[in-house]
Amino acid sequence: MRNTLSELQEIFRSTFGDDELEISESSNADSVEGWDSLTHINLIIAVEKHFKIKLATAEIAKLNEPGQNVGSFVRLIDSKSK
Amino acid sequence: MSTVVDNQLVLWEKTQSVITATAESRPVAIREFSSLAKKLLVDPELHSLVASNLARAVSPFLDYSSAMVLFQLRNRLKKAGFKHPNSCRVALLGSSTTHQIEHVLDLFLFSYGIELECKESEYGTFRQELLNPHSEIYQFAPRFIILATADKDISHFPPLTASRPEMESSLAAELQSWKSLWESAHKYSNAQVLQDNFLEPTARLFANHELRLPGSRGSFIQELNRSFSLEAPPFVLVHDVNYLAGIFGRTKWSDPRFVHHAKMPCSPDALVEYAHSLSSILASQCGVIRKCLVLDLDNTLWGGVIGDDGLGGIRLGQGSAEGEAFQSFQSYAASLATRGVLLAVCSKNTDSVAREAFEKHPEMKLKLSDIACFTANWDNKAENLRAIAKSLNIGLNSLVFVDDNPAERAIVRENVPEVMVPEVGDDVASYAEIIDRWKYFQTTGVQAEDLQRTAYYKADELRKQVESSAVNMDDFLASLKMEALVAPIHELNLERSAQLLMRSNQFNLTTKRRTSSELSALAKDPAWFTLTIGLRDKFGDNGLISVILACEENSELNIDTWLMSCRVLKRGVELFVLSELIIEAKRRNLHHIAGKYIRTEKNALVVDHYRQLGFEKTGEADGWTSWRLDIDTLKENPKSYILRNAQHSI
Repeated sequence: MRNTLSELQEIFRSTFGDDELEISESSNADSVEGWDSLTHINLIIAVEKHFKIKLATAEIAKLNEPGQNVGSFVRLIDSKSK
Repeated sequence: MSTVVDNQLVLWEKTQSVITATAESRPVAIREFSSLAKKLLVDPELHSLVASNLARAVSPFLDYSSAMVLFQLRNRLKKAGFKHPNSCRVALLGSSTTHQIEHVLDLFLFSYGIELECKESEYGTFRQELLNPHSEIYQFAPRFIILATADKDISHFPPLTASRPEMESSLAAELQSWKSLWESAHKYSNAQVLQDNFLEPTARLFANHELRLPGSRGSFIQELNRSFSLEAPPFVLVHDVNYLAGIFGRTKWSDPRFVHHAKMPCSPDALVEYAHSLSSILASQCGVIRKCLVLDLDNTLWGGVIGDDGLGGIRLGQGSAEGEAFQSFQSYAASLATRGVLLAVCSKNTDSVAREAFEKHPEMKLKLSDIACFTANWDNKAENLRAIAKSLNIGLNSLVFVDDNPAERAIVRENVPEVMVPEVGDDVASYAEIIDRWKYFQTTGVQAEDLQRTAYYKADELRKQVESSAVNMDDFLASLKMEALVAPIHELNLERSAQLLMRSNQFNLTTKRRTSSELSALAKDPAWFTLTIGLRDKFGDNGLISVILACEENSELNIDTWLMSCRVLKRGVELFVLSELIIEAKRRNLHHIAGKYIRTEKNALVVDHYRQLGFEKTGEADGWTSWRLDIDTLKENPKSYILRNAQHSI
């Protein structure tokens, strides 16, 4: 069973260029420095490549909505890579 | 406690694993490289080491996320104060978001040793920016204006049912709207415009029959792209994005999800291809050019080892799949030679044995006459590459080396870092494609001279033989029966002149790079004197070999640029040019000619140029000297063995 959160943490670290970055399910755009619309797209591109999944247009949009956090990311990835 | 040397070795190891990685292993290799490099950045003394390793980790085969990891490292270097001496001012205008293009472009230019100074336009405002003479873009004074536009910017699509004449009138209207944008850019700036062409649509309304209907989107875009290529003025360079999408794969090129979410012009990985292509054009316009392809022989140009297997034993040519693959790679190299890329051989072999294959094997596509410099011996290849560069009179950073042997590649990469060594693998069938994807030999334009370059170098070898047999220099020069074709810069020699400005490094007094657009503006300005020299001799035509730009300033004729191709060194062309400058100064009633020498890594050859011509030094500072000649004090005009001919057009 893969640990999506810790793999996601690696992706966050390389996307934000911070090798010490720690994320949890409750991390969101407000708590992670540099998480803006541009890096959000970079995150999605890196996630798709790493987990070999393809997110639908609507799913990408949903991750942008208020209240979404790393937990929503993890659940989405798990549901796609089952 | 670690030393500088240790860091160098450890980092180089990581860089090497990036260079030799496969598509699957590359992202991990890049993450590891980048983590280590970031740690080393703490020490300012290691910045240039990190920079040179970073430059070598960049390749056109990166995926977008890996490119972003490298871009962050590049950004850290920038913040830490590291800067390449060369920079390039670019205005980036597009109908999509251009941020991502800027980032990847910045990374690639960095790998060419060039700092990108970029000004982006606001999303979707490229027309306003170009038409308004006071726009921020023009105030930025860019050297290049990139128009990253797309089919959504086409405003005159004909109706699908249009007849051919109807389609043609739409085409004329569409072309006119782009031409007026280009002309506006040319009127309000000296920038070279790089214009993207349009992607042929992936979805076709008429499927297989799309091109039968003149009014279909597919037909119209093909026609428009053709018109761009044929009708773009010299100050506009068409960037063939449609071709890039073709080799990349059209369905992979676009990703509508990111178009909708982020207004990205293409899919993330395609963006890497796009930015690499753009950067290769910009780099060549800035004078960063590879000139020579150096080839190994055994298992690179033929299968097997000629020294062991003999002429009959090597695998080459029709009859075996492997032999055909080697032959087809030879054809690729031969075709590069016909368009002006120099070819050289660097092989561990006995010279006579290696040459015999070229002379006697019936299936060889490459002939000895295609090879500008042939090196087959048992010395190490790093030294041989230095010798090749020296003999061809070009820099090591003009070489690309192809060898099937990974150990040889590693040795060359480590010992002669200036030489590009593509990771070609061990299957010759893919060599041509890999070399082509790197776009090493991107040109500033296609010139008649390019098609003859190897012949020039060959004729040069003949001249050298005559030189060594001539009794003295005067006799030798007189025996060459040289004839100079003198002309100002005009429409027909503009592209070649611009190319010389980009390519010349050694005999170049000031190394000012100017685009053809800037040159054409100078040529029209009466304050400026532009001079081009074409040289013929009894061995053949050397083509256009020297360009001089001078400007009337403070009652002096001020030499801004004086450069010459090194293939005509020591022929007295300098004296001939000086006499032309004197004629021009007198015509303008000027009594002095002034010039400057600006030192670069490569132009030590001309450090005493002005002194040798009788100029007096008037100033000196770190990296430059200035000189002046009082022409009234000259007792006689400079003498050369070159006959002046202004009648022929060049």
